[in-house]
Amino acid sequence: MRHGLAFLGWAGRYLWSGWAGAAGLFCIAAAWQAGHELYGSFILPAPLETVREVAKLAQDEAFRHAARETAERAGLGFGLAVLIGTTAGIAAGYSCAAMRLMRPVVTVILGVPPIAWIVLALIWFGASGGTAIMTVVVASLPISFAGGLEGVATRDRGLDAMARSFGAGPFMRLRTVTAPHMVSYLFPAWTTTAGSAWKVTVMAELLSNAGGLGGDLASARALFDIPRVTAIVLVTVGFALFTEYAVLQPVRDRLEQWRQAGQPWGVKR
Amino acid sequence: MRLELDRIGHAYLGRPVFEDLSLALGEGEVVALVGPSGCGKTTVLQIAAGLIDPLRGRVRRHYRRHAVVFQEPRLLPWLTARDNIAYGLAARGIGRTERRATADRRAAEVGLLERDLDKYPAELSGGMRQRTAVARALATDPEIVYFDEPFTAVDVGLRRVLQDLVIAASAREKFSALFVTHDLAEAVRLAHRIVVLSGRQEGIVAERTLDGMPGQRDDRSVFETVQAWMQDPAFADLFDGDRD
Repeated sequence: MRHGLAFLGWAGRYLWSGWAGAAGLFCIAAAWQAGHELYGSFILPAPLETVREVAKLAQDEAFRHAARETAERAGLGFGLAVLIGTTAGIAAGYSCAAMRLMRPVVTVILGVPPIAWIVLALIWFGASGGTAIMTVVVASLPISFAGGLEGVATRDRGLDAMARSFGAGPFMRLRTVTAPHMVSYLFPAWTTTAGSAWKVTVMAELLSNAGGLGGDLASARALFDIPRVTAIVLVTVGFALFTEYAVLQPVRDRLEQWRQAGQPWGVKR
Repeated sequence: MRLELDRIGHAYLGRPVFEDLSLALGEGEVVALVGPSGCGKTTVLQIAAGLIDPLRGRVRRHYRRHAVVFQEPRLLPWLTARDNIAYGLAARGIGRTERRATADRRAAEVGLLERDLDKYPAELSGGMRQRTAVARALATDPEIVYFDEPFTAVDVGLRRVLQDLVIAASAREKFSALFVTHDLAEAVRLAHRIVVLSGRQEGIVAERTLDGMPGQRDDRSVFETVQAWMQDPAFADLFDGDRD
């Protein structure tokens, strides 16, 4: 009962803090509207026009299918990148030799432009969803890797020694000492990964002509259907906002409640 | 004997800290290890507690469980005071209800209030954090407790309270303790025996068994003992400000 109430209180506060975020988004919308009034509908359709186009597209079965396809690819790419990157990062953080070996490898992978991966993936997978997924994984894996590595490498050795003095095994130490500390390194990495997953998926789809929102974007561009282009962009951005503020942030907020406890009164949100 | 250190030696990066150091801890005995800073007191404690391995010598432990109270509280900032106290129990795989009951009992023993137990360490004062750390050590029912200068960062009044708490707990639960400190008065207050570690890598330079039981010595006798030892050459290192 008490926990339930505490959860409700937290959820209410989290939702209420959405107003500030909405205000920021409406500022962008205002600037967008100004641009529209300056250049006209052909260059930049108005926000309202775009929202109407989105509503129209939402009724369209083919578009819904394309959006689902993109969501699946981005989600799978994100999941794989986070899983492989974080696991490898944690392993490398515990081993100095692995860390020294992996760091330049990560820099090399980060240095290869995503567009080059798309070309390579096109050759390996052809015009299919695999291209988009692989590009997402390769492009965003190093970020999660670096997050996991830094998180483990900067863990508090004193707390680790304390845990060992109480006979805590390696897994318990990872769970209770290292993992909560890593959260503050992993979540920024994961949010970046999630954001780039959507962008890279759409880009890979557009270039490989593999359907999804990217494929839709390609045909809208060919037809000079500008409202449709902005509508697709809006949908992609909406997806990115959703993953960040409806999936990742609430989890982080729950996991890092102890940080808020340390803040002085009046700073707590 | 609960613990025997047999001719242990240790060095950091080739620089020896101590050599051939032997020390034994009897059942229910509180031994204070004093010495000037940098003489390797903490290293002896870490070796005894198994946190580091000695370069030479052997450590024999005749007990099942120990606990360490560190110089800093070393509480996990993401756990509440209650969960911190129960940490050692969780490491032993004890169930949630029992952990909670033990943590509540131990918290009351060290003078923590029920309402403070749901707070995170960041919300507790320095003294409360150190109380939590002591409760965490006691919660596991240890046979030996290692104290590594635990009360250096708290004010004089609170230090007395915490010392009394340790004295009462060791008398009640009959655990042995190795208490590292550089405060001779603190050592005289709460130990059965005092061992002085040299500041010049000479190992143990003096050993004194104190009269009476800890907790029964009044402030006057503690003060007089410390005053008398100040003239003693064996304790000269402790009061020598010119030493580098």
